[in-house]
Amino acid sequence: MEATADRLAEQKYSFDVVRWFTIMAVVYLVVGAAVGVYIASELAWPFLNFDSPYLSFGRLRPVHTNAVIFAFGGCTLMATAFYTVQRTCGVRLWSEKLAWFTFWGWNAVIALAVITLPLGFTQAKEYAELEWPIDILIAVVWLAFTANFVMTIAIRKTSHIYVSNWFFLGMMVMIVYLHVVNSLAVPVGMFKSYSLFSGVQDAMIQWWWGHNAVGFYLTAGFLGIMYYFVPKQANRPIYSYRLSVIHFWALMFGYVWLGAHHLQYTALPDWTGSLGAAVSLAMIIPSWGGAVNGMMTLSGAWDKLRTDYVLRFLIIALAFYAMSTFEGPVMSLKTVNALSHYTDWTIGHVHSGALGWVAGISIGAIYHLMTRLWHTEMWSESLVNVHFWTATIGTVIYVVAMWVSGIMQGLMWRAYDEYGTLAYTFVESVAAMHPYYAMRAVGGGIFLLGAVIMLFNILMTVRKSATQGSLRDARATLTPAAA
Amino acid sequence: MSDYFTTDWGAMTVSDWAGLILTVVIFVLMVVAYFQVFRPKNRDKLEARKHIPFDEDIEDLGDNDGGK
Repeated sequence: MEATADRLAEQKYSFDVVRWFTIMAVVYLVVGAAVGVYIASELAWPFLNFDSPYLSFGRLRPVHTNAVIFAFGGCTLMATAFYTVQRTCGVRLWSEKLAWFTFWGWNAVIALAVITLPLGFTQAKEYAELEWPIDILIAVVWLAFTANFVMTIAIRKTSHIYVSNWFFLGMMVMIVYLHVVNSLAVPVGMFKSYSLFSGVQDAMIQWWWGHNAVGFYLTAGFLGIMYYFVPKQANRPIYSYRLSVIHFWALMFGYVWLGAHHLQYTALPDWTGSLGAAVSLAMIIPSWGGAVNGMMTLSGAWDKLRTDYVLRFLIIALAFYAMSTFEGPVMSLKTVNALSHYTDWTIGHVHSGALGWVAGISIGAIYHLMTRLWHTEMWSESLVNVHFWTATIGTVIYVVAMWVSGIMQGLMWRAYDEYGTLAYTFVESVAAMHPYYAMRAVGGGIFLLGAVIMLFNILMTVRKSATQGSLRDARATLTPAAA
Repeated sequence: MSDYFTTDWGAMTVSDWAGLILTVVIFVLMVVAYFQVFRPKNRDKLEARKHIPFDEDIEDLGDNDGGK
């Protein structure tokens, strides 16, 4: 029955742009992860810089973050948002032309990032490095994406707006606001500008954006994915719709307060950091409520995890979501922050969220989409399983390496002897990190291997669909009566 | 302890007042949302909506009861 429903959906909805976003997401996953592994290797084996400014860590690091967050994450969000809004509202996209403009515009942003960042054009703002002309293009494309999504909801056939759309919409509205304010700058040339803010205000705006990029882009958007794809893949409705409503509003109202916890022990007023930490702790409640809601959807059907590899990705992602939304608030506490801040512990925390939660839920959703959009089974189920284990093992190795390295760094930096002088020089702490940096590169390499396997598997699935003619058949006329 | 709960109201700026009012309003709205969502009377109405991703497939196949 589901296959027939998907064939009907093929004729009813606009899926071509979703297919392209889906493929590009996986391509960018491979590219972003490959650059990540390279720069991780540079930290372990510095000769890999080859004395070239274009290959230096400082220039390639934003290429990595932009590729994984905005290229991979963005294409995944756009594919899933355009797919789910049609299927839950019962109507085609409001404007197919605007959807294609979004596709080409977003890819143009990515291409410009790949060119300008290695050349050294940067605003030096974390997760917002791109110079002002590209920032304007991002705003225009994002508004086109938002307008199309809102208008599709406006013309819906259903009376209620399903909760996944609330999360997508919350993300879209907040990212417009955050991106525009954080990017306010005075241009002094085509590729150079200065932030409108200065000093501690600039730092506050930067981390108000920085943490909310995590909260609204990497959390709310991907929760939108979770609320549609976990029930669909499990073939069971979400455990509690009421919990999802509270999850949504608590997330929307709570997350905007957290940015200040990135600036403990700085020139920022002390109470601001305390407030950020207090609200961070409070956010454990809705975050865990959401994670439990997703996991309990499998209540009574846990055996599905034994055979459904895609579901494994979705559920392990929720486990990482729960873990990192507990770890984050703990790290925001001043006592813990005094040890953890500026160390690799932060990198470990970020990657347990990025690799475990964001990539995990995205990969699960993309595998789900592949079979629905190309109307055939995956070319190899075994390779999906291999990918699951490489992704999980790679993530765990990476995160554990950074935890150990980070805590050791923090302890070495604060250790002092009986005369009150520092026990270790900074260089000694760098030398002590080497085994863990090598271990991190290995963990990242294993994760990258899984991403390459995924790309190969999905390209073979597209080829299989073309050979079988399954997509062509699905596009052929099929009436409900015939079904 | 009283130091923590003492406020110089006269020193409050416009931004301080805006922030305070916004915080209290959001807190009240969250309390209202909590009671509305978990009120037993609203349970069935809200929980019925979790079937939306599945209703679509069934309705497309010509089953007009939405899978219920």
